[in-house]
Amino acid sequence: MTRLVVIGNGMVGSRFVEDLLGADAAGRYDVTVVGAEACEPYNRVLLSEVVAGKHDLSALTLPTPQSPRLTVLRGEQADHLDREDRVVVTAGGGRLRYDRLVLATGSAARVPPLPGLRAADRGDGGGADDGTLTHGVHGLRSIDDAREIVAATLNAQRAVVLGAGVLGMEAACGLARRGVAVTVVHPASTLMERQLDEEAGRVVELAMSGLGIDHRVGVGATEALVEDGRLRGLRLDDGEIVPADLLVLATGTVPSTVLATTAGLSVDRGVVVDDDLRSPDDHRVFAIGDCAQPPEGGSGLVAQGWEQSRRLAALLCGSISGGAELLPTRPTAASPRPSSVGSDVVRLKAHGLDVVTMGVCGSQRVDDPAQRTLRLSDPDVGRHVEVVVSGGLLVGATCVGAGAVAADLVTTYTRRTPVPADPAYLLLPALMPGPASAPTSPDAIPDDATICRCNGVSKAAIVACVHDGATSVPDVAAATRATTGCGGCSDDVCALVEWLSPAASTSKDALGTTAMAFSPSDVRPGENHVTKGKHMNHNAETAAS
Amino acid sequence: MTPLPRDTDTALTAATGGAGTEGVATHCPYCALQCAQTLTPNPGLDGDNGVAVEGRAFPTNRGGLCQKGWTSAEVLAAPDRLTTPLVRTADGDLVPVGWDEALDLVAIQLRRIRDEDGADAVAVFGGGGLTNEKAYQLGKFARIALGTANIDYNGRFCMSSAAAAANQTLGIDRGLPFPLTDLSGADAVLLLGSNLAETMPPSVAHLADVRGRGGLVVVDPRRSATADLAADGQGLHLQPVPGTDLVVLMALQHILLTEGLADLDYLEARTTGLEEIRRRSALWWPERAEQVCGVPAGVLRDAARLLAAASPARGGRGAFVLTGRGVEQSRQGTATVSAAINLALLLGLPGRVGSGYGAVTGQGNGQGGREHGQKCDQLPGYRMINDPDARAHVAAVWGVPESSLPGKGQPAVELLASLGTPGGPRALLVHGSNLLVSAPNAQQVAERLAALDLLVVCDFVPSETAMLADVILPVTQWAEEEGTMTSLEGRVIRRRKAIDPPSGVRSELWVWSQLAARLGSKGTWDTEPTLVFDELARASRGGRADYSGLSHARLDTEEALYWPCPATGAGGGVAPHPGTPRLFADSFPTHDGCAHMVAVDHVGPADDLRPDAPLYLVTGRVLQHYQSGAQTRRVATLATAVPGPTAEVHPLLAARLGVVDGERVRLTTSRGSVAVPARITYSIRPDTIFMPFHWSGAASVNRLTTDATDPVSGMPEFKVCAVDITPARRHLARRETHPEPDHVGTETPA
Repeated sequence: MTRLVVIGNGMVGSRFVEDLLGADAAGRYDVTVVGAEACEPYNRVLLSEVVAGKHDLSALTLPTPQSPRLTVLRGEQADHLDREDRVVVTAGGGRLRYDRLVLATGSAARVPPLPGLRAADRGDGGGADDGTLTHGVHGLRSIDDAREIVAATLNAQRAVVLGAGVLGMEAACGLARRGVAVTVVHPASTLMERQLDEEAGRVVELAMSGLGIDHRVGVGATEALVEDGRLRGLRLDDGEIVPADLLVLATGTVPSTVLATTAGLSVDRGVVVDDDLRSPDDHRVFAIGDCAQPPEGGSGLVAQGWEQSRRLAALLCGSISGGAELLPTRPTAASPRPSSVGSDVVRLKAHGLDVVTMGVCGSQRVDDPAQRTLRLSDPDVGRHVEVVVSGGLLVGATCVGAGAVAADLVTTYTRRTPVPADPAYLLLPALMPGPASAPTSPDAIPDDATICRCNGVSKAAIVACVHDGATSVPDVAAATRATTGCGGCSDDVCALVEWLSPAASTSKDALGTTAMAFSPSDVRPGENHVTKGKHMNHNAETAAS
Repeated sequence: MTPLPRDTDTALTAATGGAGTEGVATHCPYCALQCAQTLTPNPGLDGDNGVAVEGRAFPTNRGGLCQKGWTSAEVLAAPDRLTTPLVRTADGDLVPVGWDEALDLVAIQLRRIRDEDGADAVAVFGGGGLTNEKAYQLGKFARIALGTANIDYNGRFCMSSAAAAANQTLGIDRGLPFPLTDLSGADAVLLLGSNLAETMPPSVAHLADVRGRGGLVVVDPRRSATADLAADGQGLHLQPVPGTDLVVLMALQHILLTEGLADLDYLEARTTGLEEIRRRSALWWPERAEQVCGVPAGVLRDAARLLAAASPARGGRGAFVLTGRGVEQSRQGTATVSAAINLALLLGLPGRVGSGYGAVTGQGNGQGGREHGQKCDQLPGYRMINDPDARAHVAAVWGVPESSLPGKGQPAVELLASLGTPGGPRALLVHGSNLLVSAPNAQQVAERLAALDLLVVCDFVPSETAMLADVILPVTQWAEEEGTMTSLEGRVIRRRKAIDPPSGVRSELWVWSQLAARLGSKGTWDTEPTLVFDELARASRGGRADYSGLSHARLDTEEALYWPCPATGAGGGVAPHPGTPRLFADSFPTHDGCAHMVAVDHVGPADDLRPDAPLYLVTGRVLQHYQSGAQTRRVATLATAVPGPTAEVHPLLAARLGVVDGERVRLTTSRGSVAVPARITYSIRPDTIFMPFHWSGAASVNRLTTDATDPVSGMPEFKVCAVDITPARRHLARRETHPEPDHVGTETPA
C-alpha cells in the first residue's frame, strides 16, 4: 500500500482525490487529505454568484469521494513538512507519513499594502497585527468571505471594488444586482487588462455604465479611510475620495506556498513543478492547482487545476506498476505537452456583462507575425469580437457582447477544429444565417421545396396536381399523400391550392379554415393571409413582392 | 398558427374514402410508432403489390402514414424476394435446396459444433423487429434447444442504454410510461437526440399544441427537421457539440437546483439520491458547461426556466423529457439517460398525469423485443437470468430443469467480436437483423462473420448479412403473419395476416420447431402465434413486463392494451386487468417504492478529436429509409427519393475544402474510409459531419463508427467519433495550404 497525503481539500484537492481513487483500480493507494477549512469542499468559482444573490450557499457543496482507503481531516492545518522522515506535521501535532505528497494548498487573496486595510493599521491599539481586515473590508476567496459580504450588503449604501480582473468584475456586477451603488477602481489602464486590450476594455466600460456601475480606470488607491474602526471610503491617486462602507478586494491572489518554502522546495511565484507536476527537488512531492507553477505557468483558473488533477491521477496510477507504463500517460509527440490551450478560457459570470476570452488576447500580448488578427468592432451596441488565427487554427479570441459567437469560438479553440478558409466568418454566428430572404408568397417558394416532409411532396408536385384538376386539400391528399403524415403541412397545402385556384370558392370544410382565396395577381399587402407553415424553412407570410 | 391534427383525420378519410371494411386492420412494418394500417388484398387496385395500404385511425398516428408506410406493401413483392432455402456450395455459390435438406444440414452442423466445443459455441443474434411471439420463442430456442448463453440482438444498438438507466432509477423500462397522446397537453417537451420528424413523422402531430405554447426544446447537434419544429418562437433548439448532451443536462440540473426551481416536495417524497445529484451538478455551472458543450449559458438558463415553468409544481400544465438514440448511442449513453431521468425527477414529472420521462423506442418491436428473453441477460417478462426465482419460474413454464438454463451471455458488440476467435462461437444464427450494416466497425464484423464455421440467416430478402451466409432460410414478413408487437408506448397491438406468403416461405416459429425436433430438444414448440403468445403470457406472469392477462383473443376484442396487464384469475366474476396506460402514479417498482437517482458525470467520446481527425462524425436516419435499408432500399419510391448516403457538410467547411454541393468527399477514421457526395447545409455545425446509416458496403457509415461501448449497457458509440474529410478528387498535385476565401455555398432545399 502506498501512502498518499494530499494537503488541501478545495476544488482541486478534492477533485484530485476523486480522480485518483477512480484511476486506482488496483487499490494501491491509501489516501489522507488534510483540509484547513472545517466545511466540505465547495465550488469557489460560484462565490460571486452567491454575492449576486443567485445562489444559495448550499448549492456550492462539491462531491466528496467515499472510500475505505480515504481519510479526510477537515479543519486541520498542515504546519510543516519533514521531508527527511516523509512526514506532514499538523498544527495539532499529528504526524502523517507519506510515500507520495500532493500539495493542493491553493492561493489566498492578495491584500495590497494600502494604509487602513488592516485592523492593525488603525493605530488605536484595537487589534494585534493578526491580518484581520478593517470592518467593511473583505476579500472574496472563501465561503466565509461570501457570507460576510452578503451580510454587509444589507446595510451598505456604497461599495467599492478594488481591482477589475475577473473576480472584481463579477463581484461588482453581483453587488449592483443587489442594489448597492458600486464603483470599480482599477489601477491599470484597461479593465481586465490580462484579458482585454484597450478597445475591448472600452466597450466593457460602456457596458458597465449601462449597468449603473461607476468605474475609475487607470487610477490606483492610496488609502482606505477609516472612522471609528469602520470603513468610510477610499482615497485615490488623483486625490479623489470615493465614499464607501463596503470594500471588496479583488487585487489578485498569492499562491499558498509556505509549506513548500519552509521545506526547502523550489518556489517561485508558486511551487515549481515539471511537466509531470513533480517538484524538481523531491521526486515524492507534487503540486497542482493554484499553488503550483508548472512550466507553462499557472493561470489561476480551475480548469487548469482540474486538468492537472486528472493527469496526475493517471500518472500516479500508471507509474505504480513499473516505469515503462509511465510513458503512455504522458503527452505524445502528436499532442504537444500540456499547453494552456483549453484551460485558459476566461468566461465572466456576471449579470449583464458578456465577456469571453481565450488564448492570445489582452493588452499585454506580444505581436507575432505568424498570427492574423481579425476584429469586429461594434461599440455602439456593446459588441467587440476579435479572433487570432495561426496555422489554420484559432489561437485566441476576445468576445464582448458576442452572444452565441463566443460559445462557438470556445469550442473551436479548445477542440482545435479547423477555421474557415476566410476566418472573417468566425466573427458572426456560423450555424445558420438569419431569416433574411425567406419567400414571402407562395409563388416565391422554390418549385422543389418540400411542402409535405412526411411524404416527400414538393411544391411542384402539388402545382401539377392542381393543374390536373384537384380543387381541395383532400383532392391533393388523395393524389400526392401530402398532409397524410403528421398533418402539419395542411395549412400550407391549403394555401397553395387557394393560390392556384382563381375561382375563390375552394372548399375548405375538411380543414375548417377560413382563409380568403386569392390569385397571385391580386395580392395586396396585409391582406390575403397565407398561414405560416411553422415546420417549413420558408416564411410564407403573404406580402407584396 | 399550429396544424390541425384532428381535422387531418377527416382530410385523410376523405382522401382515402375511409378505411375499407374488407381490409385487414394491422400496423406498419417499420418503426415503433406502429402506425395503424388497413391492408386490402386487391391486385387490381394498387399495381403489382397485390395489397392496398391505407392509414387507419389510431391514437398514435391519427390515421396518418409517412412515405415508408404508404409504400410498405412494395417489399412484399420485392423482385429478389427469397422464396426457397439456399445453401452455399463448396464453390461458394448459393444454390436452392428443399427445406428438409436445409434444416437437416443446419441441425447436423449445430450438433457437430456443440459436441466439439460445447453449447456456447453456437450463438444467436435476434432483432427488435421480430414479433413478441418470435422474440420469445427465439430466446427459448437459444436457451433450451441450443443450450447456449450466447444470445443477444440488435436492440443492443438501440434501446440498451435507455433500458439500463430506466431500470436503475425507475425500476422498470417501458419506453414511454404514458400514452403518446399525453404530450399534447403539456407546456414543454424536451427532446434529446431524437429526430421524430424523420424517424416517425406522424408522431409530430402530438407536438403541435406544445409548439403552439412555445414549449418544444430540442437538443441536437444538427438543426434537424425536428429541431426546425422549435423555430419561430415555438421553442428552443440547443445545438451542442457532439457527445456533450450529458453536459447540457448537468447544466440544466444545476440551474434548477441553484435557482430554487426543483420540486423539493416531490423529491423528498418520491426519490432518493438528491444530495449527490446536487453536489455533482455543482460542478456544472452554465458558464463552464458552455465551454464544453458549446450551448450559450443564457440559452441553457432559458431552457431550464422554460421546463420549470411547465412543471406541475410551478403551476404549469406539465412537461416531458424524452430521449432518443442521439444521446443513448454513446459510451456514456446510460449516464446520459440517467441524467435525463434525474432532470425529470428534479422537475417532479414521472408519475404525474400529463408529465413524465420517456425513451422514444426506435425499432418496430424494440419494446417487446427487449422484454421476452432475446437479451443476453434476460428471461421472458423482463426477468433477469441470474435471478434464481426468475429461472425457476421460466424453467417450469418451459418444462425443463432450472439448472439446465444457461447463464448470462455476452452483449452484442462483444459477442460479434468473439465470433470465430479461439474459444468464441463457431456458428451464428441470425434472425431479423442485418448486422453487417447495422453493427459498428463494419469491416471487422465482416471479418468475424467470415471466420465462422456456420452462418445461418433467416430473412425475407437477400440482405447483406444473408449474402454471407452458409444457409439462408426464407421467412414470412409482416403482412403474411399473425402476431403482436409492443409499440413505443408499451401498448400490445395485433399484427394480422393479410395475404398468404409465397410458397416456399416459412414462419420462423416453424423453423425453430423443426430445428428443435432435429436437435432432440425438450419442451413444446408451437407454430401458431396465438399459442406461443399464451405461453409467453404465462412465462411473463409476475415479471416486470407482465402480459399474463393478455391473449390474441382479448386483444382482438378490445383496443390495444398497455402492459403490465396481469391475469386476474379465470372467470369467477373477477374483472380482467384493464392494462396500465400510465406507470408510477403511486410508487416506483423499486424495493422501497422510490425512484433512485444515480449521480453521473461527463467523460466525453472515446474517439475524440485529434490533429489528423479534427471533426466530429455523427450518424442517423433519413425519413425515407429504415434501419439497414434492407427493406426500404427495395421500394422504388424511397430508393429514388434518397438513393444513397451523403455527408452533410457546413458551407464554411465546404468552402475550406473547396468542394461544391454534390461533390464527392472522403471521410476517414481510425477504422475505415468511405467516399460519398457532400450535401452542403447550414443545418450542421461547422465542426461536424452527418452521415445516415442505411447503406452497406463502400457507402456504409459503420465502416467509420467506433465499437467503443457503454460500460453499463454495452451500447456502441455510434453517434460520435473523430473524422477527417478531404475532397475525393483524383490525386491533385497538392492541396493548397491557404485556399482563397471562397463564396459560401447555399443550402439546397430538402
